[in-house]
Amino acid sequence: MPYENYEKWKTVPLEQTPHLSIVIPAYNEQERIVATIGAIASHVSDLGFPWELLIADDGSKDATVQTVEELGLANLKVLKTPKNGGKGRAVQRGMLAAEGDYILFADADNSTPIEEVSKLLAKLETDGFDVAVGSRAAEGAEEGKKSLLRHILSGGLRMIVKYGLRIGVRDTQCGFKMYTRDVAKKLHSKQTIMGFSFDLEILFLASKFGYKVAEVPVAWVDAPGSKVDTRKEVQRFLRDLWKIQMNNLSGVYR
Amino acid sequence: MEMLKTSSGNIAVLQLKGRFDAHEVVPVGAWLQEQVDAGRVQIIINLEAVNFIDSTALSSLVRGLKHCREKGGELRLCCLQQPVRVIFELTRLDKAFTIHATQPEAVDALQ
Repeated sequence: MPYENYEKWKTVPLEQTPHLSIVIPAYNEQERIVATIGAIASHVSDLGFPWELLIADDGSKDATVQTVEELGLANLKVLKTPKNGGKGRAVQRGMLAAEGDYILFADADNSTPIEEVSKLLAKLETDGFDVAVGSRAAEGAEEGKKSLLRHILSGGLRMIVKYGLRIGVRDTQCGFKMYTRDVAKKLHSKQTIMGFSFDLEILFLASKFGYKVAEVPVAWVDAPGSKVDTRKEVQRFLRDLWKIQMNNLSGVYR
Repeated sequence: MEMLKTSSGNIAVLQLKGRFDAHEVVPVGAWLQEQVDAGRVQIIINLEAVNFIDSTALSSLVRGLKHCREKGGELRLCCLQQPVRVIFELTRLDKAFTIHATQPEAVDALQ
């Protein structure tokens, strides 16, 4: 049966509202994205509900868009833009276009294995949370192949986030987060940060608006070929943290 | 990822377990090269316990296949889990490799 589920998803367009949408932001991912799509399509098709996959391209200069379109998958949409606007912008476009009752954003390298999706879904469906955040810091999480530099940086940034923005979530940056549809639309329509630290703003807003946020331990692998320049991103992260404070004080988030 | 190296007659067999990605390509590539250099060019890679394979790992298998064939041998795959099977289909590499449902079937085909 399982392969038939995938074949149906691959060939028969949905006629009903998806139960789950999965948004993958992509920038120059022609090499990595097909394997991730395959892993996601195989696993999620077996979960027994209608679902859609959105690849939010971020103005890739390589053949990401063409590669994904040529797969010809019936329930995969490619969101295109001519201009590179940042990972946050790509996620925002995906979140606002997604139609599912629940919307997951996941990274293009499958660094949090898609098998973890059910943990997050259960938090929203069963436990009544509005947001479920995959976490490499929560008790029970497994981190594989993480460099020492990333260990030190993530520890330091967690402290800053905790005391600077009073965000209770310990791992704000894990690229594996799920929202109910209404919450996703509200949070991402208020989003002003379009770089890698957009997650921080989204979690700050979730806290500000009083949404219930669950931090869920997930497995995570530091996938090779990361496009993150750690030094630059730390600087941006600190700058964005300041911007969130200023936005909040000046009423941007009302 | 775990690597279990065995043989069946003149066929070298490698069983992999876990996530086969760029972190794991070097030891697998080294094992493949070692087999080819030693003239063991009938090779089976059993992917039964592999749940994800990335593009770098796929490329390493293609290189292994090419090297085997250059020496008059063959590299066969067997026991693909569904996610890996789907990845092979989407990348169209299911056309490049002969993929067997079971390891005994792959062994029979190479003998």
